Amino acid sequence: MADHLDAPGLMSPNMDAEIDITDHYAFQKPGNPDKSILILNVNPLAPTLANSFESGAIYEIKVDTDADAVAEVAFRITFSPNDNGNQTATVRRVTGNAAAGVGTEGHIIIENAPVNFDSSVTITEHGPYKFYAGFRSDPFFFDLVGFLHGFHFTGSDFFIDKNVFSMVLEVPNWALGDNPNVGIWVRTLKATGDANGDADDFFQNDQMGRPAINTVFNHGNDKLTFNTTQPAQMRALFGQSFENTLKSFGYDDAHADAITNILLPDILTYDYSSSAGFLNGRKLTDDVIDIELALVTNGKVTTDMVGPHTDYLDEFPYVGQPHV
Amino acid sequence: MKKLNRRKFLQVAGASSAVAAGVMVPSTGLLERYAAKDGAMTFRAVAGMPAKPLPNYASYVIEGHVNLATSSGVITKTVFAGSPETMSTIALPGMSRIGRISSVQDQGGSLLITGVVDDRSQLKRGESSTFTVLVDRLNGVAQAEFFGKLVSLNLV
Repeated sequence: MADHLDAPGLMSPNMDAEIDITDHYAFQKPGNPDKSILILNVNPLAPTLANSFESGAIYEIKVDTDADAVAEVAFRITFSPNDNGNQTATVRRVTGNAAAGVGTEGHIIIENAPVNFDSSVTITEHGPYKFYAGFRSDPFFFDLVGFLHGFHFTGSDFFIDKNVFSMVLEVPNWALGDNPNVGIWVRTLKATGDANGDADDFFQNDQMGRPAINTVFNHGNDKLTFNTTQPAQMRALFGQSFENTLKSFGYDDAHADAITNILLPDILTYDYSSSAGFLNGRKLTDDVIDIELALVTNGKVTTDMVGPHTDYLDEFPYVGQPHV
Repeated sequence: MKKLNRRKFLQVAGASSAVAAGVMVPSTGLLERYAAKDGAMTFRAVAGMPAKPLPNYASYVIEGHVNLATSSGVITKTVFAGSPETMSTIALPGMSRIGRISSVQDQGGSLLITGVVDDRSQLKRGESSTFTVLVDRLNGVAQAEFFGKLVSLNLV
């Protein structure tokens, strides 16, 4: 539930798990401080709800290089139709004003990368870039039943046997911009069917910065609004609601305001010159829930008693083999 | 909304369990209050999880198809993704239970339903195969356990 199952498309009857973001990660490549690993996972409970990537959708990793909550760099991943188990990905890098907008333009950095629908690992390399897409073990770990009980955790990891569809991109740090302190978020966009070449060809379906922010802070239909709100507008639209939630956990006005300004806009801050983990980027093993629990509950709850999985790989694509 | 505390719930649930092995014959009043002419009664109860003030992430749904004349029927418990207002049709895996009703009692105007999950493969380690659901139509609520903790649900 980092961001699992909160997309509007999951509402019946338009279930669309293929573009439901579950998590994203950003960390310095182990053993190579000049490169970064960016991971975007979708499709919770895969393959129960969906068994491929969505052709026609855009899976996008946004990079803000100057702390204005607007992207100056974006990586756009698109997929061909799934033809009897054959599907390929194209990855584009776009910079400047176009990176903040909606569209499929950009410089192709990976082309015809095959999707892996089983435990095999086919990696596509082009220049300094490396890419994997396919069916993997869900790396997220959390006691979901304890959360449903209102933070009364028992250490039962709901995600220990779950799968997702992963996109893993290795990039040289310079591709994230000159300033090593960047902000990263991910989003998915669905084709409207219009396809006349303008910005209306797509609408934003899901979005995620830090884990579990939308899940924990937003009520009901606010979750849907949050998923389609650009980061630069988040404080204005959701700041008061976040402060109210924080005050319900015992924070005074000043502290609730200060923490809200950390949490919003919902962007994962990442210094690519550092190998440290969350809140600097996010590694697969980072216990982000424990860190956020302590922060959000004002220290009343500090752990869900669940730790990282043991199936992460030491090398690219880092995400473990799927459970079959 | 009338609330039933955990102690009272466990008292009536315990009393029910003690007599569940015998044949339970509902009173005429119970049939009149709850059932159609054929003795059949259905209900659906929903609770947002986690409870407010936390935002609901999922919905705990209990549905009952009860034959009051024979004290039999089926209870299903399911956790769907989404709050009650935005509930999806996605059942969270490992959290659904299907149980056979073994007794039905009138408890001060409420309906106390006891049952058993015959397919133990549904259960987590240490989880009891028996369950109890208290249905209070007058106040529009139901009470049941959710993985060891008492939850109040709204009848819908």
